[in-house]
Amino acid sequence: MDRVDGTDHYEGDKQGPGPSLLVIVLDTNPHAWALLNPTLPLSKAISNLLVFINAHLASHNANQVAVVASHCHRSVWLYPRPEPPSEDVEMKDNAPALNDANKYRPFALIEDSLLTSLRELISTTTENDISTTNTTQMAGSLTLALTYINKATLLFSDSNVTSEPMSTTLEGPENTTGLQSRILVISVSGDLAHQYIPIMNTTFAAQRMRVPIDILKLAGDTVFLQQASDTTKGIYMQLRNPQGLLQYLMMAFLPDQTSRKNLVAPTQEVVDFRAACFCHRKVVDVGFVCSICLSIFCSPSEGAICLTCSTHLALGDYGSKPAVVPRKKKKKRKLNGGVGTPSSRGGTPMPNE
Amino acid sequence: MSSSDEDYVADSDDDAGANQPSAKHGTRSSGPVKASGDAGGRKRAAWEDIQRSWDTIVEGADGSINSAVEGLREAGKRKRLLKDTTPLQRGIIRHLILIIDLSFAMVEKDLRPTRYLLTIRYASEFVTEYFEQNPISQLGIIGMRDGIAVRISDMSGNPTEHIEKLKGLREQQGQGNPSLQNALEMSRAALFHAPSHGTREILIIYGALLSSDPGDIHETIQSLITDRIRVSVVGLAAQVAICAELCKSTNAGDEGNYSVALNEQHFRELVMAITTPPVTRTKKQSQSSLLMMGFPSRTLGSGKTMSFCACHSKLSRGGYLCSRCNSKVCSLPAECPACGLTLILSTHLARSYHHLFPLKNWIEVPWSVAWSENSKACFSCLSKFPEIPKDVGADGEPRRKPGEHKGTSESSRYACEVCGNHFCIDCDVFAHEVAHNCPGCQGDTRAGEKDGIVRDGARGDGDVVMVG
Ligand SMILES: [Zn+2]
Ligand SMILES: [Zn+2]
Ligand SMILES: [Zn+2]
Ligand SMILES: [Zn+2]
Ligand SMILES: [Zn+2]
Ligand SMILES: [Zn+2]
Repeated sequence: MDRVDGTDHYEGDKQGPGPSLLVIVLDTNPHAWALLNPTLPLSKAISNLLVFINAHLASHNANQVAVVASHCHRSVWLYPRPEPPSEDVEMKDNAPALNDANKYRPFALIEDSLLTSLRELISTTTENDISTTNTTQMAGSLTLALTYINKATLLFSDSNVTSEPMSTTLEGPENTTGLQSRILVISVSGDLAHQYIPIMNTTFAAQRMRVPIDILKLAGDTVFLQQASDTTKGIYMQLRNPQGLLQYLMMAFLPDQTSRKNLVAPTQEVVDFRAACFCHRKVVDVGFVCSICLSIFCSPSEGAICLTCSTHLALGDYGSKPAVVPRKKKKKRKLNGGVGTPSSRGGTPMPNE
Repeated sequence: MSSSDEDYVADSDDDAGANQPSAKHGTRSSGPVKASGDAGGRKRAAWEDIQRSWDTIVEGADGSINSAVEGLREAGKRKRLLKDTTPLQRGIIRHLILIIDLSFAMVEKDLRPTRYLLTIRYASEFVTEYFEQNPISQLGIIGMRDGIAVRISDMSGNPTEHIEKLKGLREQQGQGNPSLQNALEMSRAALFHAPSHGTREILIIYGALLSSDPGDIHETIQSLITDRIRVSVVGLAAQVAICAELCKSTNAGDEGNYSVALNEQHFRELVMAITTPPVTRTKKQSQSSLLMMGFPSRTLGSGKTMSFCACHSKLSRGGYLCSRCNSKVCSLPAECPACGLTLILSTHLARSYHHLFPLKNWIEVPWSVAWSENSKACFSCLSKFPEIPKDVGADGEPRRKPGEHKGTSESSRYACEVCGNHFCIDCDVFAHEVAHNCPGCQGDTRAGEKDGIVRDGARGDGDVVMVG
């Protein structure tokens, strides 16, 4: 159809690749940074990151950046900053950094905003928040990053050549000239098994949108981030020397998708494809899979009932082949806005619903 | 057309409150269409189903149609969204070869824009849908042109690869004669290695009324039967005897797998119908069971010496190591040749998990709530909401905007009932159709829960949680 409306004509006119949007997910897990402190304190990592952000912004005049923090219990936007809920908290005290004549103003703005949000985030973290968990809200942060990219892509295609307005993300955008987005995760935490399903959901969403998820691992090891970067064709790097953070950022993570086609990107030697079981959130390499709903369990459940879909399952026949089963009856459509009951799988309702 | 008035009344139920008096006016008939000659299955012809977009537009208070267009767009997005996704059975492993006619017959323009382009578009949609419905299945694509069979994409479980290859076809045009026999023989070879526990299927999209074959196609059909391969054909022109015979004999006498598309919509329906796993005609309708499966890791093996794979005894560096016995296989899903463990990629399974734990629909936020919570920007994408009108009081019923559509929020805000955050329509659509996560629920676990397991519980898989 390109031939009909002559869009290739426009493409030919454009010089060079389009702008790119980089969304950085910064893992701010306090436990992990405390461990990392002797080699790479958070403050140093942030300053390295700012240099990297500036380099990204400098490489194309329309490049955009967004930073989201994946904290111990929540995901928070660091840049751009969400609007304060009440009007009276206006940022009238412009930081002196903004008036520094020696600094390119956009760089100063981002630096100021990022540091302010980060300070705010750290000061609002209670001791209770830290003591109750040792992981990070990676799934939430990735979801935030993806929604932001989705919105930015929609806005970009609206403001530029009027392409088909609807459902660009659903059919997999094939934009070579449009906004190119990617996600960079700077991860320090291990074990994300309890977020297995949401993380895999974001992974497939990113794959569908053709957004690569790059992982820069400073500490710890998670199976699912490896899978995320492998599925989305991103870069995965585990740093042996976190001190060299800036060097790695600049050399491996700065090129956008267009440039990467001409480079040999670092790859993972071994990709771990283990899964987390639904019953204990344990990472397993051999599991028991319900042939109806494909749930994974680490051991056959007692009573031979699938915990997810409540189907009675034949047991003992472990080596058996996948079987064809008559489809389940259709679920009744639930009316929107009605008092929600958990899905009609016959499960135990949650007390608060 | 006599029934069109009643039709309108029935429809206007749905659109209560919507100011679209002339919507669908008289262009839609709901009565049974007098089928012109051929069989049942037919609903209405394309020309009977015209919806004029300009009929549904109403001018806003300021005389512009911007708000109305915006409202319609939002209503459209929302309507698609409110459809409930029903968890379907997805356990089956299928192996399917899609054969596309790329011959001279595809240049015809009876399907718009051309048969060729439309087929490629529907084929891409088919690929996406096929992998959504059958996450651990395999697919390959073969084309028929110039009297030979062309391999378009190899058997694999990666939808993006197939779609890329299909996209490349768009640059070309249909030419030469199709050869059914060549294509079938090539598919037979491609399906030869498919493990016995999966299905072996061929779907042919056939535009031509002829086939130029090098030999006797009946022999090919015989060998298809021996290989337990089932063939379905979607014709674009008219019934062809050999296709009917092909479908009938490979489907144990069932003729339901051959159909001819009447129009674009029907064509799409026919193709999409194949994405549902087929019924088995084997003797024992085996019961549901718990399968033991391994999730092997992939190794590139660069720098190491080459070794033989256990499946084909070919020398290779990379591969997947069986999680039980460490034998190397070259592709997944597979059955470990040494210990018999079914090996699959866990990411293939995970692709369907959002069907198990669907994200609940979000609710519309009235102005009064938006006012009392003072929500200004979307929680996830930070885009600003429309200003809260000044004339809204905590009590006051706000003035309604003209051209309001049912199902859309008057304040353009949508709220997740679990976490209570407000989102914009784009994030609503995105979260429900693509991400299947609520950014708010995933983004904040301080609200009383101790760990992530309970977190998931809030999304509806309560039973898993409560048992544990
Ligand atoms: Zn378990
Ligand atoms: Zn189940
Ligand atoms: Zn092999
Ligand atoms: Zn084995
Ligand atoms: Zn939004
Ligand atoms: Zn929520």
